Amino acid sequence: MEKTIIKHIENELAVEEIEDGLEASDDLLGSGIVDSLGMMKLVSFIEEQFAIEVAPDEMVIDNFMTVENICEYIKTKL
Amino acid sequence: MNFSYTKEQLKLKEDCINFAKQELNESIYQNDKTCTFSKENWIKCANFGIQGMAVSPDYGGRKEQLNLLSATLAMEGLGYGCKDNGLPFALSAQMWTVQLPIADFGSELQKQKYLPALASGDKIACHALTEPEAGSDVFSMQTTAKKVDGGYILNGTKCLITLAPVSDLALVFATINPKLGKWGVTAFLVETDALGFSVSKNKDKMGMRTVPIGSLNFKDCFVPEENRLGKEGAGWSITNHSLEYDRCSILASQLGAMECQLEESIKFVKNRKQFGKSVSEFQSVSNRIADMKLRLESSRLLLYKVAWMKSEGKSAMLESALLKLQLSESFVTSSIDAIRNHGGYGYLSENEVERDLRDAIGGVIYAGTSDIQRNIISKLLGL
Repeated sequence: MEKTIIKHIENELAVEEIEDGLEASDDLLGSGIVDSLGMMKLVSFIEEQFAIEVAPDEMVIDNFMTVENICEYIKTKL
Repeated sequence: MNFSYTKEQLKLKEDCINFAKQELNESIYQNDKTCTFSKENWIKCANFGIQGMAVSPDYGGRKEQLNLLSATLAMEGLGYGCKDNGLPFALSAQMWTVQLPIADFGSELQKQKYLPALASGDKIACHALTEPEAGSDVFSMQTTAKKVDGGYILNGTKCLITLAPVSDLALVFATINPKLGKWGVTAFLVETDALGFSVSKNKDKMGMRTVPIGSLNFKDCFVPEENRLGKEGAGWSITNHSLEYDRCSILASQLGAMECQLEESIKFVKNRKQFGKSVSEFQSVSNRIADMKLRLESSRLLLYKVAWMKSEGKSAMLESALLKLQLSESFVTSSIDAIRNHGGYGYLSENEVERDLRDAIGGVIYAGTSDIQRNIISKLLGL
């Protein structure tokens, strides 16, 4: 799960190429790795890839700040 | 994709057209000149059930009987029948950017307290996001909400807020921690008589002059915790959630206005005689009419597609950006064409042709400028 999401962010969503690769603990929005449109695309990707529905009020920092947070959140939905 | 509408959906659209033609077309020329908002027409719309389209029957509305496609058709009918482009615009703003977020994210207390009054027209509400230094980059906002015992203290300014001068309630977005960026944005329901909350007078503007617009100021304004809408930090997704609904509704009424505009143009150019024949017989005029029809129908297809996708629960990021760009720019271009078709007659305000152009210009600016829509489209295409 973690690798799939990291690969998708690196290849499709990152605003700029990430030199040393994306870490699961990197702050995605705060450090500018993805922008707000990228975050919306990431949510669509997660919904499709893991067959879950992300409710708008679940799109909060606790669930989406890092890839680690995202994986934990997805696990609660599976 | 299925655009074969039910009899009920088509009847709803027809009913909206008839209602608007019979009830909403008084004094618009005068109200436009004087920037006057008609509370009377607002109430008439509520009694007819327009505001109730975004509220479930439990709270005085009829949302469960209507999906977005039906509501879109209804707003198209309203835009077609109502000569005041501002009224459907303002209705959409309240319905989809205030009522819908309360319905979808609000506590039971918030729903009970606000939705019936908004659906009945007793209260008016505005959506307060834009700031002097945060336009398209809207989440770089500076309005802050500091957590205190029992609630939050709001400080900051919101500007260009539709309906602000006549609102009883504002859905306000503020950051609980600027360091968190978008993740800090939080939504609050603030009643306009709250201490520390002031609202500017109506500001004069180019078009949509029947809809008041103004600024909100918060100076140590206390908002109780029970008035926070959704979780802390959920403001960003709350506003994004309503954006596509709002676009469909606003653009639907503009589509209706474009259809009416085309029909009026055709009628005029057929009757207007120059050089011994109807001006519609000149190809430079008839080709212009053909272009107006093409813009109308291509916009309609995009609108119905987005409404259908949202009704199916699908994401429509690319399609709604294409729709916003296509329809708002088309309305501007067709409004210029309508004036050309009417000649000097169309240039005089009293004939109520030129008003569409002034009203249309706002469409390429609000709810995401055309420049921003192009950026979104190209980005979603991987550029």
